[in-house]
Amino acid sequence: MESVLVAQALNALFAVAVLALIALGLAVVFGLLGVLNLAHGELVMVGAYCAYVAQTHGWPFVAALPLAIAVCGVLGLVVERWLVRPLYHRPFDTLVVTWGLSLLLRKCAEALFGLGYQSINEPLGGTLDVLGATYPRYRLLLIAISIVVLGALLLWYGRSRTGTRIQAMVDNPDLARALGIRVGRFAAATFVAGTCLAGLAGVLIAPLVPVQPFMGLDHVLMSFFVLVVGGLGSTAGLLTGSAVIGGVNSVVSAVSDSTGGYFCVLVLAILFLWLRPSGIHARR
Amino acid sequence: MRAASVGTWRAAGVAVVALLLLPLVAGEFWAYQMSLLYLYAIAALGVGLCWGRAGFLPLGQGLFFGLSAYLSGLALIAFDQSAWLLLLLPLAALASGALALLIGTLVFRRRGESGPYFSMITLALALLAGQMANNWESVTGGFNGLKGIPGLPGLDSFIAAYYVAAVALVLACAAVVWLYRAPLGVLWAALAHNERRVVLFGFDTNRLKAVAFGVSGLLAGLGGALYAPQQGLVTPQLCGFVLSADLVIWAAVGGRGRLLGPVLGALLIGALTSALRDSFRFWEITIAIVFIVIVLAYPQGLIGVFAPLERRWGQGRRALAALAAPPRRQPGGALRLQLEDVELQVGEVRILDKLSLAIERAGVFCVIGPNGAGKTSTFNLLTGELRAQAGRVRFDGLAIERRPTHQIVALGVGRKLQIPSVFAHLSIADNLGVALWSGRTSASDLLRPRLRRWRTPLLAALQERYPFLAEAQRTAAELAHGERQILELALALLGEPRLLLLDEPCAGLSPQETAQVIDVIRWASQRSAATIVVIEHDMSLVRNLAEHVFVLHNGRLLAQGSVAEIQANPAVKAIYVGSEK
Repeated sequence: MESVLVAQALNALFAVAVLALIALGLAVVFGLLGVLNLAHGELVMVGAYCAYVAQTHGWPFVAALPLAIAVCGVLGLVVERWLVRPLYHRPFDTLVVTWGLSLLLRKCAEALFGLGYQSINEPLGGTLDVLGATYPRYRLLLIAISIVVLGALLLWYGRSRTGTRIQAMVDNPDLARALGIRVGRFAAATFVAGTCLAGLAGVLIAPLVPVQPFMGLDHVLMSFFVLVVGGLGSTAGLLTGSAVIGGVNSVVSAVSDSTGGYFCVLVLAILFLWLRPSGIHARR
Repeated sequence: MRAASVGTWRAAGVAVVALLLLPLVAGEFWAYQMSLLYLYAIAALGVGLCWGRAGFLPLGQGLFFGLSAYLSGLALIAFDQSAWLLLLLPLAALASGALALLIGTLVFRRRGESGPYFSMITLALALLAGQMANNWESVTGGFNGLKGIPGLPGLDSFIAAYYVAAVALVLACAAVVWLYRAPLGVLWAALAHNERRVVLFGFDTNRLKAVAFGVSGLLAGLGGALYAPQQGLVTPQLCGFVLSADLVIWAAVGGRGRLLGPVLGALLIGALTSALRDSFRFWEITIAIVFIVIVLAYPQGLIGVFAPLERRWGQGRRALAALAAPPRRQPGGALRLQLEDVELQVGEVRILDKLSLAIERAGVFCVIGPNGAGKTSTFNLLTGELRAQAGRVRFDGLAIERRPTHQIVALGVGRKLQIPSVFAHLSIADNLGVALWSGRTSASDLLRPRLRRWRTPLLAALQERYPFLAEAQRTAAELAHGERQILELALALLGEPRLLLLDEPCAGLSPQETAQVIDVIRWASQRSAATIVVIEHDMSLVRNLAEHVFVLHNGRLLAQGSVAEIQANPAVKAIYVGSEK
């Protein structure tokens, strides 16, 4: 009985950790730049296909990580320069353009790899005993990676000079520019960081989900709802949002079915829009 | 407002004849293809209405198309060939419209959010609907869909189905033309660019947006209700993401800002897609790139190519006779205004600190005070845009501090904002129209295009003083700064409110223009029994205008009285020039 509880708790922890990992890139771009990148889910998809490419070429799984960083980094640079930068003061058009980009990436994936589902082998097989419950090792590794990545990013952002400069840019871009901070370059770097994080998340989840061109839609929606519930611009918000959305989704899905979980998440997001429009952890 | 020109009628006639002749000229295959695209075009019309007119983007329109397609398919199967279908199919379309109205009401209710939140929620709803259609096998037939749906009774041939779809498309276009010509369409266009200003004219913009979304749902529902009998098969893909995305692409590429843009997009892109999809592998990638380019660089879309033609046709319209507008629906007499111990704090900053003041008669009152004294915040409080933490705000004894802005404005309040915020992309006539409809219209009035012919004696008098106000077709964007200030002032006056709040009406004006504005304010105050409250920095102007002056300092009322009394007041002198010791 106890082992079942532990397994359930690990399942919930896993759901939250993965959701936080996927939402992180969107949180960086939306929270810091105010750009809602609707193609975020497709960048996750691109990362997952990087894992697929690595597998078909017989490369080790970890080789997909630098590949995803390279592909998503270049994509991020191009997109920031040509699509997002002209529209920094037109958030609505950014939404539409990145939506168009998501469509483009999906169609490209379709043309390159076809509509079929691909599966990726788990790089780390087997299970581990945790307090009497047997749990897949790869999932445990993902939980650990998620915690490490989030923690490292938080420490770096809070302590480093670059982090401080980015905070200055977010707070008041004009003043930051006047102080000699190269706001344009920081914004580009922030955007690229967001797209790379999406790609990395894509590689990491690839062995656990069917990889196909449409897989990004769910991820961008769930990530967005994480930010709606948690609030923008703080790690605490990202974690709380992931906990609430991931928790509700996995509990309701377990009790009824995935449609029910989805429905509850949606209702929750609308409720938050009414009652707490800036989320649980509002920036100010 | 002007009547539609001969050219417009001629173009509409040509289009209708082309629709009628197409199956005879192009053959049965294309008639079949086009009849499907007509239904999509009806739904795309709704996307254009939301996005191009009212300024919010629905990303999940397939939900409404699919819902009514399923309902219509179920009805057709259950009541094959029965007369009940005449009632049930419109009900299927209405169900989609009602659902959209409900969703719009819920999502817009609190914040009036029309940015990413709305789009994301509609996208999520469409994905949810697709999942439900997939899983609810007993009703929807699951993944394989609802099969063997019979055609419309007596209209079972390809050609008959074609004409049904064509008639539906023409009717849908006509209905949307009607809406765009009615005040409702003008208000949608106005709120897309400056929602706050529309609220300050007393309109419940959240409801207006919900109605726009409801209409778009109804249009998608109409397409869906006819899709089921035409295609004989309804699958979950219809509800989900793919059709929703196509509708947005068609509306954008065709041109979302104009009535026929989305229709053109749906027909052209749709036809090209069915011709090229199999032979040209990168067709869909091309379309995605075209979409991005259009959004970035050419928002008017393909229909924009026809703009010069349209201008030529636009000549030779005749103006329609003016109609006298009814008086504003409000109690007579000046509004009694009381602020009692109002405290207002935003974040850490205390803006109003137990502010009390009362205005109990008509006339011109000035509010002065250093920057940060809380002048504009007081106006925002009076129009319900800021909520006091403590204290009372009363109009005619009625506590208003918990009411939404549009309801407060409806009590007879008008406001001119500090920065001119006329509707730049609307014509002068439509700008004036929005102001004239303020407080004078019921919900059903907003559907009557004749309201665009409204005139009032005040408008005539203003146009006599400022002839540019009669240049109906110019857009407000073409006006110089001074003219915009005058237009802004005219908009505030035209609602003929009992309480008129003017925030720095002369900011940025030349001395000559300032003199004109002072003149208009005095003249307006003599014509009506309104209470006019002016925020002003310029003391010469205050001397010229004010019957009574309130001095605000640090969120409190420092002094009040006639101009002479204020100028003699040592406390007032102290805050403006430093105290003498």
